[in-house]
Amino acid sequence: MRKTRRMAAAAAIVSLATLAAACGSVGAKVGGGGSAVSGKKTRGGVVTIAEVGASPNFIFPYAPSTNSDGYNVNLTMGLWPSLVYSGDGGKSIVNPQESLFSSLTYSHHDSVITMVLKPWKWSDGTAITSRDFTFTYNLLKVNYKNWIDYTQGLFPTDVTKVLTPNAHTVVLDLNRSYNPAFYTDDVLSTIVLLPQHAWDKTSLTGKVGNFDETTAGAKAVYTFLQKQGGDMGTFDSNPLWKVVYGPWKLGTFNSSGYYSWLPNKNYSGPDKPVISEAIWTPFTTDTAEMNTLRSNTSIDLGTLPLNDVHQVGALNSEGYTVADLPTAGVAEIVPNLYNPTNGPMLRQLYIRQVLEYLINRPQIVSKVYAGYADPGNGPVSVLYGKQWDSPLEKAGGPYPYSPAKAIALLKAHGWKVVPGGVSTCAHAGTGTGDCGTGVSAGQPLRFQLLYTSGITSFDQQNAAIQSSEEAAGVKIVLKAEPFNTIVATTATCNASSHPASTCAWQLQDYGYNPYFLDPSGAGLFNTDGYGNYGGYSSPEENRLIDATEYGSSTSAFFAYENYTAQQLPVLWLPDASFLYVYKKNLAGITPWDPFSGTLNPEVWYYTKPGS
Amino acid sequence: MTWYLTRRVGQALAVIIGVMILTFILLHMEPGNVARAVLGLKATPARVAIFDDTYGLNKPLYAQFLLYMKQLLQGNLGISYQLQQPVSGLIAQRLPRDALLLGLSTLLALIVGVPTGIYQATHHNQLVDDVTAGTWFTLYSAPDFLEAFLLIALLCVQFHVFQPNFPGGITSVGGVLADWRALVLPVFVLSINSVANFSQYARSTAIQVLASDYIRVARAKGLPRRLVLTRHVLRNSLLPVITLLGLSLPGIVAGAVIAESVFNFPGMGLLFWQSALSHDFPVMLGATLIIGIATVIGNLMADIAYGIMDPRIRHVRN
Repeated sequence: MRKTRRMAAAAAIVSLATLAAACGSVGAKVGGGGSAVSGKKTRGGVVTIAEVGASPNFIFPYAPSTNSDGYNVNLTMGLWPSLVYSGDGGKSIVNPQESLFSSLTYSHHDSVITMVLKPWKWSDGTAITSRDFTFTYNLLKVNYKNWIDYTQGLFPTDVTKVLTPNAHTVVLDLNRSYNPAFYTDDVLSTIVLLPQHAWDKTSLTGKVGNFDETTAGAKAVYTFLQKQGGDMGTFDSNPLWKVVYGPWKLGTFNSSGYYSWLPNKNYSGPDKPVISEAIWTPFTTDTAEMNTLRSNTSIDLGTLPLNDVHQVGALNSEGYTVADLPTAGVAEIVPNLYNPTNGPMLRQLYIRQVLEYLINRPQIVSKVYAGYADPGNGPVSVLYGKQWDSPLEKAGGPYPYSPAKAIALLKAHGWKVVPGGVSTCAHAGTGTGDCGTGVSAGQPLRFQLLYTSGITSFDQQNAAIQSSEEAAGVKIVLKAEPFNTIVATTATCNASSHPASTCAWQLQDYGYNPYFLDPSGAGLFNTDGYGNYGGYSSPEENRLIDATEYGSSTSAFFAYENYTAQQLPVLWLPDASFLYVYKKNLAGITPWDPFSGTLNPEVWYYTKPGS
Repeated sequence: MTWYLTRRVGQALAVIIGVMILTFILLHMEPGNVARAVLGLKATPARVAIFDDTYGLNKPLYAQFLLYMKQLLQGNLGISYQLQQPVSGLIAQRLPRDALLLGLSTLLALIVGVPTGIYQATHHNQLVDDVTAGTWFTLYSAPDFLEAFLLIALLCVQFHVFQPNFPGGITSVGGVLADWRALVLPVFVLSINSVANFSQYARSTAIQVLASDYIRVARAKGLPRRLVLTRHVLRNSLLPVITLLGLSLPGIVAGAVIAESVFNFPGMGLLFWQSALSHDFPVMLGATLIIGIATVIGNLMADIAYGIMDPRIRHVRN
């Protein structure tokens, strides 16, 4: 599934919904804030969190380019949160309390950033200073190619100069102007400060120096830290990893994926942990996790597969509350505009419109996802809130389910429509009323949809799409493959490169693309975007995306969003939420923060009966 | 016997090397780009190049194989692409636990299956024989995941007698044994199918043995029935069981995907399955090597056991 494991585990809830569980019914959400936890707040207690298939294997916050394990962030974010903390109580804004900076100012046409760090301390009592920023920058400047989260052209390669006028101020000169919202939300939020006073060395027994200030030294330090960061046997004993600034420090860790967080007693931030320990315990499958939840043996918080939504009643009787967690991303079917056979068809906007009109998204949301999904009206999820959701998206998007409109579009473009069968092009050509460039006479409206196997709700969703597309004679042939097989056997196809060996795919659905705090389309829908797999290319799209990334107009985002929703670089789909279950006496779980990159047990606490 | 053993060990080594070559070639014939499979959505061309360079995937196939064999001779099974850990460590962590789980289930199946089979043979074509055989065949026919779910629903969810899973984080055999209540159900479920195997093989052989002249002679000499069964029938009925045991050794080290999934027992089966899905060649090669060695050892041990159990086989070899 395209859902990165980081997002899967980091996901948090904006609006909660308790399930109508008392009678076992799950058809409707009630309320919007989970179950109200009553009782007296107590200090202490251990929370055991189930993680399915999780296996963090790297603790240094900057993982190498060969390591894409998204679970690492679950391990590290509580220890070293991002410089810019994304999300505040479920709102898609920067969290000023949890972030490391006290002020962030853009000047010189938004090409210079002045950041003032808060007077926080590392867990060993040393002050966090601007030197820690330069240490981090120096390491990344030399080693960015071996950082899995580096994005081409962005930090650190877009920084021309770093100044530190005093111990708490950092001035970044950028090589161009950026939209401050984009840069803060999507770039600075990827940076984690490193403790120069403890980590600027090249061996465990060596002395700390200023090695990062030379290229060779920065390479040696980064190599050393990455080597230590992969040594799983020493995660919980290596003195390097005991210097943290987040609310937690690592308690125990073993290579099976079992680890615990203990409160960092010197945490300078506002939310100091109330519980005494958070334990992550691994499960091989969600089946094993579900068996444990039903037996009420050891889990305080876990996930509930959507396939098991009918278990909600039973889980409630076992003492659990269920809440949904909307996904911060966009779900989609990617059309391959350069497939040798069907590429010419898919390059026609009206064909993509036909396909979208025939996807009954409301039905998928209600029947497949039991109501726990974003409707998928366009490129931005409705969870993002008013500053990101355009009126067009809020109104249901440009292409609500309408077989009649799909049929009319096809007829207007010279197709012989055969509802329930396979429609064919009757008028080949490029004129008005013809099928369009590259579409031959008699060509059938038949597409293979490749999707991720092993997920029942995916099977159901794509079977529903196959069925609803038939209303206008669009034949969808389904083929399910494991996610890794799909990404291994298919490649990005575009006008300049579309080899037959890896561009045989026609439509792909492998989940969703996660967003940062700013749901920017950069990288997804621009011509050279790393995630633009189907070869969609539009100068206007590129211009609008650039405006969101580099411009300063507040209306630029809606312009981009509406244009993208209408142009269908991908087919929009409902985006399923995650369901979480947690003990009824565990409070502070909601509202979740879907943007912070991790769970936030520092705000959780147990209650006991009483006022 | 020494020459026999030397010859068999030589054959075994040849088989293992053959398996390695074949597996290596087959894995690399698999369509798709390894780096893309592992890196997923983060597979930019630059990262793919670094990945290929790091793991030598940009070298010719023969060079990759030679490199792998060189590492192997140094006791290095490589690094898992997906899990980013030494393969030897991953296997060392899981193999003993799987050996314990599957070894115990095989032992339980043996303890139950063989006596049951001999008992059935002594009551050949009687009601008790039919009922027992019917029971075993019914259990044998049921998928093990179904049996697991039923037992969990009854004994864990309904009555809370056992816990349905191994607590996360157990990495040692001692840890597994310390939580023995979690071991009961998987051992029981895994033994069900093997019981049917052992009992029915033992039964059919015992029926033949019981009809043999030397058994009649023993009985005619007045040897007590108990001694006839234990000294003659049991021993001679064990030959097919030894074959089964030899063949089950690779299964013991290969793990059990279903049981590992249902009972939260991270073992070799899931490791192999997940590595196959993600093109994690070093893990697949390492696991195949271990399973290959276990297959060869299992057969070798069965052959040796034949010789010990049946003097006729020993004499023919000599």
